[in-house]
Amino acid sequence: MQTNPLNENQLNQLNQAAELKKLPIAKLISLFENRSEGTAQQRHDIIHHINNNPKMFTGKGVTIGFTGTPGAGKSSLIAELCKTLTKNNDLRIAVLAIDPSSQSSGGAILGDRTRMHSGSKNRNLFFRSQASNLELGGITHNTFQATRLLRYLFDLIIIETVGIGQNEIDIQYMSDHTFLLMQPLAGDQIQFMKAGIMEIPDSFVVNKCDEERLARTSYHMLRASLKQSKLIILNAKDNFENAAKDNIFLTSATKNKGIQELAEFIRSIQRNHLNEDDFNENNLNENSQSKGKKPKDIESFYLQKAIQELYGKFGLGILSQKHDSLKQLSGYEEKIAFATTAIEQQILRR
Amino acid sequence: MTEPQKHQITDKDGNATKDRPWIFRTYAGHTNVRKSNELYRNNLAKGQTGLSIAFDLATQCGYSSDEDIAKPEIGKVGVPINTLDDFAILFDNIDIAEVNTSMTINGTSMWLLSLYVALAEERGVPIEKLQGTTQNDLIKEFLARGTYVFPPEESIKLIVDMYEFCLTNVPKWNPSNVCSYHLQEAGATPVKELAYSLVTAITVLDAIKERNCFDEEEFERCVGRVSFFVNAGMRFIEEMCKMRAFTQLWDEICIERYKVKNPKYRRFRYGIQVNSLGLTEEQPENNAWRILIETLGVTLSRDARCRALQLPAWNEALSLPRPWDQQWSLRLQQILAYETDLLEYPDLFDGSPVIESKVNDLKEQANAEIQKIMDAGGGVEAIKNGYMKSQLVVSQADRMSKINSGEHIVVGKNRWTDGIESPLVRDSDGGVFKVDPESAAETVSALAATKANRDDAKVAECLKTLRETAIKGDNMMLASIACAKARVSTGEWTATLRDVYGEYRPPTGVEGQSLSIENETLDTVREKIKTFMDTRGHRPRIVVGKPGLDGHSNGAEMISVAARHAGFDVIYFGIRLSATDIVQSAIEEDADVIGISLLSGSHNEIMDQLFEELDAEGAKGKVPVVLGGIIPQADAEALKEKGVSAIFTPKDYDLMEVMNRIMDIILAHDAE
Ligand code: B12
Ligand SMILES: Nc1nc2c(ncn2[C@@H]2O[C@H](COP(=O)(O)OP(=O)(O)OP(=O)(O)O)[C@@H](O)[C@H]2O)c(=O)[nH]1
Ligand SMILES: [Mg+2]
Repeated sequence: MQTNPLNENQLNQLNQAAELKKLPIAKLISLFENRSEGTAQQRHDIIHHINNNPKMFTGKGVTIGFTGTPGAGKSSLIAELCKTLTKNNDLRIAVLAIDPSSQSSGGAILGDRTRMHSGSKNRNLFFRSQASNLELGGITHNTFQATRLLRYLFDLIIIETVGIGQNEIDIQYMSDHTFLLMQPLAGDQIQFMKAGIMEIPDSFVVNKCDEERLARTSYHMLRASLKQSKLIILNAKDNFENAAKDNIFLTSATKNKGIQELAEFIRSIQRNHLNEDDFNENNLNENSQSKGKKPKDIESFYLQKAIQELYGKFGLGILSQKHDSLKQLSGYEEKIAFATTAIEQQILRR
Repeated sequence: MTEPQKHQITDKDGNATKDRPWIFRTYAGHTNVRKSNELYRNNLAKGQTGLSIAFDLATQCGYSSDEDIAKPEIGKVGVPINTLDDFAILFDNIDIAEVNTSMTINGTSMWLLSLYVALAEERGVPIEKLQGTTQNDLIKEFLARGTYVFPPEESIKLIVDMYEFCLTNVPKWNPSNVCSYHLQEAGATPVKELAYSLVTAITVLDAIKERNCFDEEEFERCVGRVSFFVNAGMRFIEEMCKMRAFTQLWDEICIERYKVKNPKYRRFRYGIQVNSLGLTEEQPENNAWRILIETLGVTLSRDARCRALQLPAWNEALSLPRPWDQQWSLRLQQILAYETDLLEYPDLFDGSPVIESKVNDLKEQANAEIQKIMDAGGGVEAIKNGYMKSQLVVSQADRMSKINSGEHIVVGKNRWTDGIESPLVRDSDGGVFKVDPESAAETVSALAATKANRDDAKVAECLKTLRETAIKGDNMMLASIACAKARVSTGEWTATLRDVYGEYRPPTGVEGQSLSIENETLDTVREKIKTFMDTRGHRPRIVVGKPGLDGHSNGAEMISVAARHAGFDVIYFGIRLSATDIVQSAIEEDADVIGISLLSGSHNEIMDQLFEELDAEGAKGKVPVVLGGIIPQADAEALKEKGVSAIFTPKDYDLMEVMNRIMDIILAHDAE
């Protein structure tokens, strides 16, 4: 794939996006979500341009994922967090919220905005809804694509997944830190462990702890479940005051409880990722499973996913054969173009 | 004295007699306090015994007329009230010791009652003489009507405060009125109407019980103050049965749940407004018959007859009624009550096995639904988890699907649509009522004058006490009355409490909803969507927006569900948003079309705001804007000039045809 210099329109758009003007950002996201032919080249050129002008695009794009059962309060909590996190005007935040598409029509009702106090003119906060497009995994290829761009423009990208069920765990590949959101005393905890989903999260949030009593019981219950499951090593003693040390957060989005603490934690994650070289997991939490996820890993995950979607197992087979050649290439669009061509050739040959 | 016969009603001396008619009500109020006062005095002079006050949306939602959000709404659909000085004019030369005043007010009920009490005290009228009703049913506001202000728990708390205060201080006041009317307008079937309104009554009474502020006798009286406001639609036999079911269910609840011994306090007291949702824009003269038939359902059976009745008018789907339209509807009531023999008989349906069976069926289903909600945590919980709301959307979507398929026949809409144009709409005003746009100035300057003359220190002190009382969780009535006397404004009272209690946006109920429409137009639309996706690489995205204080959500909900059914990605996030909210969201979402729904009459002002916002973002002309709702023909041209691509009104009931037109607009815009 060749690389073209951007034309004046593209440059303008990109420069305005760097200043966080909403219209150009929105148009660019659409370009990154666009699946029709010919757009890959533009994406490739844009990413190339951004990489060549690092001073212009200062976003650090630390990605935070929120997943959890439908109605647990993901949108409400994200709304409250954004309110707190944007208060000092020192963090630029983009939120991507994914809702399910209809099986029969393919259309979707994207309702997460109901909970956000969004649509504000504040340039430091950008909210975009995405339809699941019937893809499994709780997030979509579009989420990945949008994130590729947004990470250069914003300091924090918060992703709200479709409410999780089985198999919907892709968020862990996408985000630097994944929160699993639960409701108190709903038996959720046990359910999650059975489904093996306990393996994903870096942190736990029990939301709807409107009263302290509820927060305390929820904490003890969750902790007991975690201890029993032995999936993670607990640091602190069974002590409510130290919940955060075990990456357990008790919040109420509606009564504004525990929000400040969680926001601070997110800030610390963001700070710790600022400079990959300085990144020190110990700062975050001694025993957290959180590993700074490298953009390269995410890319190859999505490359596989995209190829599987298009060509199934057959495609994946060829992809693995081409592993070494792919490694030589730098951009995602380039890789996907290369892989597609290779697969198409094989198909023709057969 | 002759022995009375079975077909006769007898008085206490055993003589044949006839019943007194129900109360004839006219819901009224608009423009400003001076104009509304004239209107009320006229009506009272004509022999009307009670007032039924309509407030404008800003007053209902707790904003003063000098706030930006209020400006497009001042005086549009009701009278604006800012301070006690306004109330003094509204009731000028009206004896509030005598008149029965019913206020359609909810989120700000406590404030309006406080103003009324303060007015009485300043006039030297003993407040125990005041009689009337504050509607004050917040559950149905979250479900259907949209003028909520505070979160559910706090809303219920304020209702309980009012019951506590009124029972001893204003004993003839009905602190709240449980409404099923609005539920039917939002789509409820008879069973859902029964169940959700009874759950509402239970929620309020349970909360009163929990406060434990009354002894047994007082609590019985308190139960006796609960009255209902019910709907009656076109299936008038079923509606009559619904009223009988209501009466019986309420009696059972009062006995079993609340142990009310005195039958007087268990009586199901109810007022009616007949169904307006089914009144059509097409061949509007037919609505006169519909209103008559709906009236029969709540008057024919003596045991289930309403105590008060308020009728819509033939031009319901065109605009607010003009005085003549209201008069025509009033005449219907008078003819029925005075020219016919309706009021001479005992109940006509007692003992009918058909009616009894139907009533029992409704009761059984309603009881099951009530039980389901109570088991899942009760009324407040069913608001918060969206269950009741999504059930209403389910029924509304079902109704719309059936009108679309022709299964549900609506004469003049989907059958017998050709006809001679009605001379009624050929009036010079087109049969449409319009509020003088200049009249708002009087309201705003009166508020400024009050603010200039009041004692600011006193205002600050009263608001401080109000806040502290709210934080402590004590009864808010006395602090509110003190605010009223100090000339605090509607906006100030509400803002203070908003700050303490917070705000709340209820679930929209549209998620996961579907329509059962399969027709050729749908295929055409899906074909166009496919073309669009092939060239543009994404599904068409529509942002459906409800700007301003308009709470009519049905249209926006149906359009959202229809758009999803057609294959759009739909961004809909509820009512009461600002033009800024909607424009910013549409920009962030890179919408292919913005669809605005407005039924409150403020479309001219609000569309101006919207286009200004789009312009400021450099997006005007870049995304097409369509508009739907109650948009008078006379305004259409100017709106299109401002930039509206298409206007849809109630006659555009063919949802896939609406989607088809929207797709054409998107595709044409694309081609430009
Ligand atoms: C149902 C109803 C209610 C219900 C609303 C329930 C709900 N959740 O929606 C209740 C009972 C709560 C209600 C209350 C009030 N109402 Co009302 N109500 C109606 C009524 C009878 C029907 C509206 C309706 O829902 N139709 C069904 C839906 C599906 O149709 P629709 O909204 O028209 O939408 C269709 C088209 O217009 C179009 N469309 C609409 N929006 C959009 C958007 C897009 C993008 C597109 C493409 C198309 C589109 O497509 C839809 C499908 O066909 C109308 C009169 C009438 N018959 O139209 C009065 C009416 C709208 N109400 C009116 C008034 C005044 C009120 C109140 C303000 C009264 C008061 N003073 O308190 C209150 C307050 C409500 C509030 N908070 O704003 C007036 C408005 C007067 C005006 N505009 O000048 C009307 C016209 C009645 C009258 N003649 O007086 N109301
Ligand atoms: N009591 C209480 N209710 C909450 C809290 N947070 C959210 N809710 C309510 O829970 C409901 C669902 O909240 P959302 O924020 O939409 O939940 P969600 O997880 O984003 O839901 P989906 O996107 O549909 O999966 C709403 O009615 C919220 O008001 C909380 O902390 N306490
Ligand atoms: Mg959500």
